[in-house]
Amino acid sequence: MTGGGDALAQLVLRDRDHECEGFGPGRVCVRVVAVARLPTRAGPFRIVAFWNNRDAKEHVALVHGDVVGGSDVPVRLHSECLTGDVMGSLRCDCRDQLTEGLAAIQREGRGVLLYLRQEGRGIGLINKIRAYALQEQGLDTVEANLALGFRDDERDYAVAAHMIHGLELRSIRLITNNPEKLRQLTAYRVEVSGRIPHVIPPGEHNRFYLETKARRSGHLIDVDALAPRSEQADPVVVAPAPQDPGAE
Amino acid sequence: MAGTEGSPVVIVGAGVAGLSCARALAEGGRRALVLDRARGVGGRCATRALEGQPVDYGPVFLHGRDPAFLAALDAVPATRLDWPADVHGSGAPCQPEAFSPGEVRRAFAEGVNAFPRHLAEGLELRLQRKVVGLVPGDGTVALRLDDGSFLETEVAVLALAAEQADELLATVLPAPPAVAAARALLATASSHCALALLAAYGPGAPRPPWHVSYPETSRVVQVVSHESSKRPGSPLLVLALQAHPAWSRLHLEDPDWPRHVLDEAARLLGAWAADPRTAHPHRWRWARTDLAAELARPLLLALPGGARLGVAGDRFAPGGGVEAAWRSGRALAGRILAGEGA
Repeated sequence: MTGGGDALAQLVLRDRDHECEGFGPGRVCVRVVAVARLPTRAGPFRIVAFWNNRDAKEHVALVHGDVVGGSDVPVRLHSECLTGDVMGSLRCDCRDQLTEGLAAIQREGRGVLLYLRQEGRGIGLINKIRAYALQEQGLDTVEANLALGFRDDERDYAVAAHMIHGLELRSIRLITNNPEKLRQLTAYRVEVSGRIPHVIPPGEHNRFYLETKARRSGHLIDVDALAPRSEQADPVVVAPAPQDPGAE
Repeated sequence: MAGTEGSPVVIVGAGVAGLSCARALAEGGRRALVLDRARGVGGRCATRALEGQPVDYGPVFLHGRDPAFLAALDAVPATRLDWPADVHGSGAPCQPEAFSPGEVRRAFAEGVNAFPRHLAEGLELRLQRKVVGLVPGDGTVALRLDDGSFLETEVAVLALAAEQADELLATVLPAPPAVAAARALLATASSHCALALLAAYGPGAPRPPWHVSYPETSRVVQVVSHESSKRPGSPLLVLALQAHPAWSRLHLEDPDWPRHVLDEAARLLGAWAADPRTAHPHRWRWARTDLAAELARPLLLALPGGARLGVAGDRFAPGGGVEAAWRSGRALAGRILAGEGA
């Protein structure tokens, strides 16, 4: 049992009879609707289910430790990637990123991973697979990928920010290498007190990078020979690879 | 309305996407010139006269949920109707999306073409000009017209059905990578075709008690629009019958298709429906985009010589239909004005 369970259950009660006109220009309304324990391979979590009026998607948070009302809470935003997260696709590094995000929260002793169900927009998964098909033909230009809504770099974190507010986090330390995420959350009045670089320890969770490296050095025969890449808006860094100081 | 900054953007297609793009460019201070092969504006957002009555033979009403789009519809100086109010049947399970929660529906007594006609006001138009080819040059792209003449521009926009846009992209030789990728993208999905039959019946014909009907038992007719119900007191009964996409594809080249549609109308509505006083058939080869084909935004391709080529239309914004066409045109204008792809 991770701590803070009662506090999370209280949030469900708090939001049970919630009625509002929505918050901010987007009139966003986010409610905590269900909480349960979720033991994972990375360690014990509680899973918090949210409802929102904005995108008809069921976003969740994986919570470890006492976070409700807390300050400097480590928070990681992860965007859903069915092929990577679930299928273990080697076209992207999403599963490694997810695993490392959960592991980082366990190491910190507390924290929140917001799992955002934003696989593109609308028919996101269909168009992602269309994008892969273009990639196989060597025709995956940036323009075509953006038209498909694939790896959209204009992700909107309004709902994520309201989920953070919904968990009553006073301030957060964002696990990220992406300054755009910091900027957006700050714009939605999330108090960001610090940043934790999102770094994968070498040899631990970086199967994707090892596979990629092996492909590139020709040790692994790969019929497709397609360059895999990051589909998260927040590329991970593998230690001790040189970090880009310009990222901040 | 026309601005002066830069050379005019030449837009191929005076449908809703092309017109909304031209208007948004003009609002942003950029001149735009709209070409169309037809005699009038509106493309598939089409209305024609049948026995003196305006009849819609593409979309029979407009629908959407984007407040900006709904405001644009409200700005049309025409007799606005909350139509269809009486809807009969629910058709095949995947249709019609126009009635999902949040969708607002609008029709005009003058026909849906009132919307593109309003969009076109004050715009520079050249009708009955068909563009048959694109020739990239140094900083410009030349549009080859079917009379053999050329029109050069720094920015061209294809606001056509995706398949028609692809036909023009195919004329860019040798295809630069951006064009090859755009063609591959368009080839990932195709548009539906639709056969539409307009039929007017004499004063003795019974008036159906609905505005539109989506028959649940027909593999031929997808929708029957009771067009004359848009104008109470109309002396004639006028129906617009549209065939299912699959049936339409099968019968696109069948000269007897209007007879089959009327026979089906008789089965659905009564024997009287087989013999209209006047009938007008229309074939929409590229009627509408498949909802599973939608793209997030329009394309803006950089051509090798430095010219820019935009592609907008109903496939290039979420949701499909006239709303998506309108939104894609505006989105493309925004990208052109922002200097993207230059």
